[in-house]
Amino acid sequence: MAENKEIRLKIRRQDGPDKPSRWEEFTIEYHPKMNVISCLMEIQKNPVTADGKKTTAVVWECNCLEEVCGACSMNINGQARQACSALIDQLEQPIVLAPLTKFPLIRDLMVDRQIMFDNLKKVHAWIPIDGTYSLGPGPRMAEVKRQWAYELSKCMTCGCCMEACPQVNSRSKFIGPAAISQVRLFNAHPTGEMNKHERLAALLDDGGITDCGNAQNCVRACPKNIPLTTSIADLNRETNKFALNRWLRK
Amino acid sequence: MSTVQSQSPYHFLIRRVHSLLGLLPIGVFLTFHLLLNLTARSGPAAYDRVIETMRHFPGIIIVELVVIFIPITLHAVYGAWVVYTGQSNVLRYGYARNWFYILQRISGIYTVIFILVHVSALRFGEANFASLQHFVANPWGLAFYALGIVLAVFHFMNGLWAFAITWGLTIGPRSQKIWAYVCGVLFVVMSVVGLADLSAFLR
Repeated sequence: MAENKEIRLKIRRQDGPDKPSRWEEFTIEYHPKMNVISCLMEIQKNPVTADGKKTTAVVWECNCLEEVCGACSMNINGQARQACSALIDQLEQPIVLAPLTKFPLIRDLMVDRQIMFDNLKKVHAWIPIDGTYSLGPGPRMAEVKRQWAYELSKCMTCGCCMEACPQVNSRSKFIGPAAISQVRLFNAHPTGEMNKHERLAALLDDGGITDCGNAQNCVRACPKNIPLTTSIADLNRETNKFALNRWLRK
Repeated sequence: MSTVQSQSPYHFLIRRVHSLLGLLPIGVFLTFHLLLNLTARSGPAAYDRVIETMRHFPGIIIVELVVIFIPITLHAVYGAWVVYTGQSNVLRYGYARNWFYILQRISGIYTVIFILVHVSALRFGEANFASLQHFVANPWGLAFYALGIVLAVFHFMNGLWAFAITWGLTIGPRSQKIWAYVCGVLFVVMSVVGLADLSAFLR
C-alpha cells in the first residue's frame, strides 16, 4: 500500500549547552503507525543525514511511551507536545523537531525540566502526613469533588504549558500554570486542605500567581486537557481572600 | 520538610493595586472623560465654557493629581515592567487570547505615548477647542488621536476582561467567554463615543 514512502525530518541539533546549534535533515523509510520516537530510533540505528553525511545519533529523552510521564516533550512542528503520541500519519512533513525553549538545553532534543520540580517544592505540592504516631484515616472526599480533582492530578509536569506561556521566560520568575494548578489539586484534598495556607502563601510570592498574563495558551497546549486557566482564576479568588484575611488579622 | 521561604511581601500587593488602578480610578475617569467631551458636539463656545468651569473648580489640581496623574503614572510605570517581563509567541501560538495578550501590551505603550502628547498639549498647553481643532486638522494628528482613543478604550476593556479573572469573578471558561462578549460590546460603544468626541473637532 504505502511502500517506498519516506518520512522527512528536520531536527535542531546542539552538542551541548554552550555549543552552537544547527539543523540536520533526515529521510527514513515509512512504516505504518510510526510515531516521532520510532523515527528517532530509526535515526539512532543509522545516523546519516538526508544528504548522506554521517552524524551522531540524535539525543532525546523518553520513558513511558504512552503520554503519561512527560519526558519526551519537545517542539514538533512548532507546538510543544509529547513525541510518543505524535503520530507520523497526522503530521505535516517535513516534521520539524526542536527542543523546548524555556528550559536549559542538555543536548539536541533533551532539556532539563528541573525548574518545574523546584516550583512544585516551592508551592508545597504534596500532603504532609508523616509523623511519629498514626494519625488515623483522613476525612472523606466528596465524590463530585474527587471527579474534578482527578482531572488536575493528570498533570505529568511535561512542560508544554511552560513552553506555550509568554510569561515564562528568562526575564520573568513566573512559576507557570502547572505548579499553580497543583496548588488547587492539593488544596482540594481534605487532608491537603489542612496546609492550604502554606501553598497559598507561596503563590503570593514574586513569580507567583499574579505574574499570569491571561494569554491562556497553557490550557490549549496541555496534552492532558487540564483546565489550567480555571485553576488560575479559582486560585486568584483564593489568594485574594487569603491575602486580605491575613493582612486584616495582623 | 516545610521550610519558611523568604517572601517579598509586596509583590502580590503591587500587582493587585496595578490591576485595581486600571478600573478605579483610571477606567472610570476615561469613561467620564469620553462622555463629558460629547459637549464638544455642541460647538466651540459650549465646550470652552465647560473647560473654563472645570479649570476654576476649587481644588481641581488635587483631584487631577489623586484621580488622574498619580494612578496613571503608577499603572504606566509598573505596566512597563510587566511588558518587559513578557515574551510574546503569537507566531507559534496564534490563538485569539494570545493576540489579545500582545495587543494589551501594545495598546498600553501607545496609550502612554498618546497621554504624554495629549496632556502636554492640552493640559499644560493651550486648552481650548481651537487648539485641538488645529491638531486634528493635520491627517497625521487625526490618525494619532483616533488611534489613541480606540487603543485606550481597548486597553481598558481588555483589561476589564482580565480584571474579572484577577479578582476571581469569572472562573470557568464559559463565564470568561460571556464576559469577553460584554467587554467587546462596551469596547464598541465607548469607541463610538470617543470617536464622536473627536469628530466634533473636524470642522
